Amino acid sequence: MLQCIFLLSDSGEVMLEKQLTGHRVDRSICAWFWDQPDSFKSLPVIASPTHYLFQIVRDGITFLACTQVEMPPLMGIEFLCRVADVLSDYLGGLNEDLVKDNFIIVYELLDEMIDNGFPLTTEPNILREMIAPPNLVTKMLSVVTGNASNVSDTLPSGAGSCVPWRPTDPKYSSNEVYVDLVEEMDAIVNRDGELVKCEVYGEVQMSSQLTGFPDLTLSFANPSVLEDMRFHPCVRFRPWESHQLLSFVPPDGQFKLMSYMVKKLKNTPLYVKPQITSDSGTCRVSVLVGIRSDPGKTIESITLSFQLPHCVSSADLSSNHGTVTILSNKTCTWTIGRIPSDKTPCLSGTLALETGLERLHVYPTFKVGFKIMGIALSGLRIQKLDLQTIPPRLYKGFRAQTRAGDFDVRL
Amino acid sequence: MAPPAASQRYPSPSQPSGKSEVTDLKSQLRQLAGSRAPGVDDSKRDLFKKVISYMTIGIDVSSVFGEMVMCSATSDIVLKKMCYLYVGNYAKGNPDLSLLTINFLQRDCKDQDPMIRGLALRSLCSLRVPNLVEYLVGPLGSGLKDNNSYVRTIAVTGVLKLYHISASTCIDADFPATLKSLMLHDSDAQVVANCLSALQEIWSLEASHSEEACREKESLLSKPVIYYFLNRIKEFNEWAQCLILELAVKYVPSDSNDIFDIMNLLEDRLQHANGAVVLATVKVFLQLTLSMTDVHQQVYERIKSPLLTLVSSGSPEQSYAILSHLHLLVVRAPFIFASDYKHFYCQYNEPAYVKKLKLEMLTAIANESNTYEIVTELCEYAANVDIAIARESVRAVGKIALQQYDVNAIVDRLLQFLEMEKDYVTAETLVLVKDLLRKYPQWSHDCISVVGGISSKNIQEPKAKSALIWMLGEYAQDMSDAPYILENLIENWEEEHSAEVRLHLLTAAMKCFFKRPPETQKALGIALAAGMADFHQDVHDRALFYYRVLQYDVHVAERVVSPPKQAVSVFADTQSSEIKDRIFDEFNSLSVVYQKPSYMFTDKEHRGPFEFSDEIGNIPITPEASGDIVPAQQFEANDKDLLLSTDEKDDNKGVSITGSAYTAPSHDNSNISSQMQELAISGPATSAATPQSSFDFDDIFGLGLSTAPAPTPSPPLLKLNPRAALDPGAFQQKWRQLPISLTQDCSVNPQGIAALTVPQSLIKHMQSHSIHCIASGGQSPNFKFFFFAQKESEPSSNYFTECVINSSSAKAQIKVKADEQSTSQAFATVFETALSEFGMP
Repeated sequence: MLQCIFLLSDSGEVMLEKQLTGHRVDRSICAWFWDQPDSFKSLPVIASPTHYLFQIVRDGITFLACTQVEMPPLMGIEFLCRVADVLSDYLGGLNEDLVKDNFIIVYELLDEMIDNGFPLTTEPNILREMIAPPNLVTKMLSVVTGNASNVSDTLPSGAGSCVPWRPTDPKYSSNEVYVDLVEEMDAIVNRDGELVKCEVYGEVQMSSQLTGFPDLTLSFANPSVLEDMRFHPCVRFRPWESHQLLSFVPPDGQFKLMSYMVKKLKNTPLYVKPQITSDSGTCRVSVLVGIRSDPGKTIESITLSFQLPHCVSSADLSSNHGTVTILSNKTCTWTIGRIPSDKTPCLSGTLALETGLERLHVYPTFKVGFKIMGIALSGLRIQKLDLQTIPPRLYKGFRAQTRAGDFDVRL
Repeated sequence: MAPPAASQRYPSPSQPSGKSEVTDLKSQLRQLAGSRAPGVDDSKRDLFKKVISYMTIGIDVSSVFGEMVMCSATSDIVLKKMCYLYVGNYAKGNPDLSLLTINFLQRDCKDQDPMIRGLALRSLCSLRVPNLVEYLVGPLGSGLKDNNSYVRTIAVTGVLKLYHISASTCIDADFPATLKSLMLHDSDAQVVANCLSALQEIWSLEASHSEEACREKESLLSKPVIYYFLNRIKEFNEWAQCLILELAVKYVPSDSNDIFDIMNLLEDRLQHANGAVVLATVKVFLQLTLSMTDVHQQVYERIKSPLLTLVSSGSPEQSYAILSHLHLLVVRAPFIFASDYKHFYCQYNEPAYVKKLKLEMLTAIANESNTYEIVTELCEYAANVDIAIARESVRAVGKIALQQYDVNAIVDRLLQFLEMEKDYVTAETLVLVKDLLRKYPQWSHDCISVVGGISSKNIQEPKAKSALIWMLGEYAQDMSDAPYILENLIENWEEEHSAEVRLHLLTAAMKCFFKRPPETQKALGIALAAGMADFHQDVHDRALFYYRVLQYDVHVAERVVSPPKQAVSVFADTQSSEIKDRIFDEFNSLSVVYQKPSYMFTDKEHRGPFEFSDEIGNIPITPEASGDIVPAQQFEANDKDLLLSTDEKDDNKGVSITGSAYTAPSHDNSNISSQMQELAISGPATSAATPQSSFDFDDIFGLGLSTAPAPTPSPPLLKLNPRAALDPGAFQQKWRQLPISLTQDCSVNPQGIAALTVPQSLIKHMQSHSIHCIASGGQSPNFKFFFFAQKESEPSSNYFTECVINSSSAKAQIKVKADEQSTSQAFATVFETALSEFGMP
């Protein structure tokens, strides 16, 4: 039961205001919110003197929702996340200018997404049919045909069908379906070099352009590695329970079929060995990066970044491979790329401490980034994708990739 | 309606200042209004866009209302949408002009295109102009029967909007019955869901004055209806599923088969992609199985993995909401996450609010099996660049140490913190070492040797300084240079600004004096002199008290100030288990995030599911209360309370042990950090022990004794009506009209203050004296209550009272307003008597 949604720019200006119920929420609440101290303002759920506020921040834009009645906090937050996703999908990104240029679209979207404070349609495919995105094609069309409306003439039929995520009868000349396994690895290596946590969060992303009412079955070669799954509403529960088969009628276009966790992985593909010794005001730093367990494909875009402690007055760091940059906010980034076959990349150099400090007491955390194309680190493999009735000119495609999520190496 | 303040607040050179542009727009619109030339729609569209962009940035464009309406005759749907948006925004302020829009909206409601029908109906219902409701009934009625589900969905919500504008019109048109049949028979899930949400709202508001609505409301919770929804829950969209799950929570199952049926139906909801659905399902499971202990435990096992996944997979905001709920669960069942502690390790990039909750989780789930790993992890945070988290993690280590039996290793870790030579880590650690010593005095030797090496000059924070001083006083015999460090500190009395530190200096000097008199005598003298000259009331009083006790008898003084101590076994918990249970009942609500039950932060008038007040914030939440709601500050305050109160309690216990001849009032559950209170307790103690005392203690203890229970309360002169009733609106109105006839300060007895940890208890207590609470708010130490009473047999003679209680000074201030000014003094007496009895058995 939300009463009002505000979109604030990164300077606190109200870019958009959408009142949802008869009880108008005054804009002054935004000013109040903006004046709060940072540590408080960043909380997702805030009690103001008159309202409870939910907020999420995406790309510098604050989505702020107000309510005066008790409601599930997660519902408010989830809804705002959904609004942010849909907007960024529609506008091709999120920033102040995009929102200001397309405020009419944003109003239209909000109008369909929530009525009287209760979320209504948030399924992107359906919204897309009700309100055309402001892309180049529609702009061209409007110039050519002279019909400038960005609203489709017909109501989305899916809104009324019992498969709400799918329009009734899409037609394609070539039928395509792609399955992407996208995994993110989170890991923590503690000060003793021990791997204390390593888990993979994965998503099965699909893109489907299929004629008619296709019924798909996706099976994995090794579903037992999956630990906790969440499914798109289109997935039928029973076949999964009994045979670990994903049976579903897909939405049209791109969507996330399922997400899963794989916990307790034994190894990270990379090792990072940092060393810092400090003595009489200077620290010697050396960091080695190498491949620990070869995933079978090239590890690309390896980066290492860390925050220099405040007490460091100057830094002199260099590497035998890749480039090192130090920004004015004391963030140091080492871009490695791929690991060369002939040497182990090494970052070394010295840090000068502020005068009066003998030794370093505050240690940085190294954040590691990487990307591996063509493999899912969890080991999950897709076995096959079956269609109940095979349409003409069908193309099926599979891909996999893994990238680093939060991979922290502590010192 | 949009406040111009907003636009002045963010002036930007590119934005128009308003006036002239609006006039300009007005004339342009007027030109276009009658035109039927080709391409006119495009120019209109540009103008409309401009109007709405002005409206969006907060410029008042209500003056072009008439022109906008004139231009609204168009077939272009985007133009229509913009027009609807504009009209919806300004109609309430222009009820007369709104009549003009009715015509075109009604026409659009009959359009061929269902989308236009729907949009027009939505806008029509969003005008919210009371004198136009008659025009709503017809379109709504046909909207509900429309053959397109999109229109029906909007019409159902429209009925609810109509109800809020004019309840009687809605009921007279018999809309609720129509909604009910739609809810049970419509083929479209969204229509059904909207019916459910509208009916819930309408019937729960009607229930207070209509028995039929009450019955209907009950019928929503009947078995057939519940199963009707649950059986087809997959057809609904995710938000409607949340709604249905909320409904299912209220359902009382008939037997255990019923429970298992529902759980089977809902089990796959735990794997829904939407976190809100998962959490709502968890709530249903937990509530259903409350009475079946073993199944309840299995439920914990079942929900564990989905919840943990939600924590690590969602956005930080989602993690935050989930973690708040996990914290609640873990307090009830610590074992459930004990082996999953690694999920709560903080990642470097996570926002501070998530890290903080994760630290709390780690603290809560630490047990014999995982403490070593958890503490090792926390120690790494303590050395990290993020200072706020470093502090929190030191605190977390301390909390774990206090709740464990085997603290050996942890004490070593804590002592290592002191060697890190970082001022904030040292400060946090000192406070913890102090608490640890109070619980485990056997560690004193190890700790003291390390603490003794810390230079007091490096410690600036009052809390840490107080902790150090406390240890100096307490372990003066083990630290060879304790008297000299104290002396040094006392000589710098003037530079020490915190009253807390000064108080501790006084007490420490006393304790040190009893142990090593010759070395401390001089310092104590200086401290007492400086203390008695202090401007701070508490410091002054304590110094004076010490002085007089010393003057009377040094041995008595020693028994009072430095009695043999008992180790603290359990520190006072800030939240009673009753409150925790209340929060658990409100699982999946804001209560969990704020960590307090809803009655502590929502007011009665807003507690109902869908009641609003336009003038919110006038009475219910005062500015100081709003400040206190700040969760971060609240933790801070609680922390302080915890430390100080236990400190006091420690001393109190000592007193009651030495002087067991008298009966000191039991203060074990009191949570107050007030020096007054200490005086109040030790006051009677000493005077009772020395009845022949030649000193006149009255002036010292005057304050303390007056807070003691009043003698026999004089019989109330005024008879109050025990069943008086008044609605908050009327109260608010009266409160504004009447002048203050009386303002009075009075004190509240310590038991009362103790009982005030649950403000509800005061409300009950006053009710038993026929004084009724209208609204309450605030947070320790400041509470605010609005009371209302009525003279027996004279319904026109009412009393309105504002009562502000400060629990740390044990004072209350009451402001009385009365219809009959002459009797307000009599009422104040009744009120004060009632208040003074608060907390008495």
